[in-house]
Amino acid sequence: MATIKYVAELHVEPCTGCKLCDIVCPSGAIEMVARKAVIEDSLCIGCGRCVDRCPEDIMWMTQRAEPLVKTVRPDEVDQTQTAALLERAGIEPNVSICVCTLTPASEIAAAIVKGASNLDEVSEMTGMRSGCGIYCVAPALRLLQAAGADVSTPKGHRWYPCTIALWDVSDAARAAYPDGFIDEDKAVFDPQHRFEPLTTASPETRADEPDRDQRVNALSARRRETR
Amino acid sequence: MSTHAAALMPPTFMPSVYGPSLRTHVATLPSMTSVDVRELFPGIPPAITSGDPADLERVRATTRASLANVDMSKITPDSSVNILASEHGFGLMGGWPYAEMVKTLREVVVEHTGCRDVRLRLAIYRGFQEADEVREYFGFDEAFDGKVKGLGPFDRGVQVDTVIGPMYLVQRAFDADLFIHAYYDDPREMYFNRLLYKSFKSFCMSYARFETRSVYHSLFGNRSGSIIPRALFDSEYIQAKYTFSSVLRTAPTGVIGIDATDDLYAIDRRITRSHLATYGRMQRLFAEIGPCVAVWDGGRWGYYLHAGGVIFGVLLTSGLDAFDLDVPVVAGFMQEPGNPVNFTRNKSVRGIVVNQAWVGAGIPYITMPFSSPMYIVGDEQAALWRQDSANPLLIDRAAVVPDIEAGMALACERGDTDKIVVFDGSYGHITCNQVAAHLLRDRAPSVDEHVERELLPKWLAQRGL
Repeated sequence: MATIKYVAELHVEPCTGCKLCDIVCPSGAIEMVARKAVIEDSLCIGCGRCVDRCPEDIMWMTQRAEPLVKTVRPDEVDQTQTAALLERAGIEPNVSICVCTLTPASEIAAAIVKGASNLDEVSEMTGMRSGCGIYCVAPALRLLQAAGADVSTPKGHRWYPCTIALWDVSDAARAAYPDGFIDEDKAVFDPQHRFEPLTTASPETRADEPDRDQRVNALSARRRETR
Repeated sequence: MSTHAAALMPPTFMPSVYGPSLRTHVATLPSMTSVDVRELFPGIPPAITSGDPADLERVRATTRASLANVDMSKITPDSSVNILASEHGFGLMGGWPYAEMVKTLREVVVEHTGCRDVRLRLAIYRGFQEADEVREYFGFDEAFDGKVKGLGPFDRGVQVDTVIGPMYLVQRAFDADLFIHAYYDDPREMYFNRLLYKSFKSFCMSYARFETRSVYHSLFGNRSGSIIPRALFDSEYIQAKYTFSSVLRTAPTGVIGIDATDDLYAIDRRITRSHLATYGRMQRLFAEIGPCVAVWDGGRWGYYLHAGGVIFGVLLTSGLDAFDLDVPVVAGFMQEPGNPVNFTRNKSVRGIVVNQAWVGAGIPYITMPFSSPMYIVGDEQAALWRQDSANPLLIDRAAVVPDIEAGMALACERGDTDKIVVFDGSYGHITCNQVAAHLLRDRAPSVDEHVERELLPKWLAQRGL
């Protein structure tokens, strides 16, 4: 859960439409309309990165009248699906994925089960990436990938599909770095040998979730309406 | 043993939009003194520079000497070469020694190879304005004929295939035919990197996209993560462009030399040996301090401010021996099942008084105020913290105090301690109050012996050294 106290604003007139703010926005809150940046307040998670990035120095953060709470509660989704997704990704449910907001992996997984289909949507739903925006990314992408989402690079290098985890290290890699503590760390972090290399969710797996596409479509529609 | 003496001044630092207006240093207070690192551990070699911009001649001469036998044959007059510099070097003794090494590096490469297209790439972390600040403050535009660009984790990436899979580096770092790894060996977060192939870390951090940084931090353990920078360095993509490394060598006393060769693995072995013997002693001495108040008083992120060459983060995690590889996790994002706490906290740090430091580290302090109450000096600084999205709840748990004396008094009273240790960017000495100075001097001999006889042999053996 993240409590968002600030929102980005800008002077529209001098905006050159360079898109640099759009590229670094973690929640898809900025889009370019007629070569000007437009910020959707309800999607902004207050990270301030656009303000720092703007080469024209025409953006700033302002305090929200009321803080915006971004969260996906456990009871909003089927917990068995959340647990299965975490297991597939090899991520412990209680670990803080976003260490700036202390958002646990279980909440990120819940957002995906609820319908988030890319990194922007996960961030917008949970407030993840409202802080440093860096260390939480790979686990979130891995959870998306485990759910069968397309994590390939979107336009504007917003993210790259990098989700390698300890569980994916091949025998060849282990042999190349015999002092890499791979087996030792696996024994520490997965003593019960539950985690496997990540394979994208199979059609059969996704068939177990018949309402997923509906949820994704509904979420996309909601975002379009918000805009 | 020295008696009460005025504290030495810390290095000057670069002003920045990410920190408050410059304040008077805590070292100027009459209650403060300095403890010389070599008084504590006489075996640690002395520094070759004070870090002052007027005292860089030996850095320049040592850089030139270290480069004399480096094979630069890959670089031709027609080559383009990027010198890759990383941000934390500019927080080391005020940054001037590292800047001098980088400038000298360019001069020597031009002299030896006839290559004129030598560019500087400044890798920064999160603040997009930091590279411009560094470029201007250290005079890099003049030194590099304007061929200077910053780069950060949000810039366009390039896929690099490694033995453990594809990862992503920042394209701008490698937009020349060749590159030089211009590094520094400050071990900084020794509780995370554990001195396991630390010399390679830039390849999964400074030069890398945020996804790669995230994989390194969040999807591997402290120890196993060390294969990521090595896999990137050993990749065909990097090896095709790599020429050699030049590393600013440090000890807790300060800059002690320059190590340059194309064999980064050899440099790393030398650094690891040296660091275990020097920073290893300081790490264990910090664990002896016990209840204390820490003060942040420098021009970098508080977590990374030095005292006696050791960053604050080490004090905060000093409950466990960071160099003992039998300990699987000291502090990190990946944790054992059932343990949701990302960073162990030294509960002996009874308070943190922020006289001056950057905000927006992205090294979140969110859980720190639970165990170590924070005291922010001044309303201007409090306003910066209030808007710091990387630490959204910190200011809610911190007290704003009018001045540093009030902050330290309140922190000591509430923390029931009389020891104060100041992290003001100092190498060579620790700024602290008399009580802390007495304790450091008292404990150092036993730490010295314990490290020499028991810990150092174990640490070296664990690393095959």
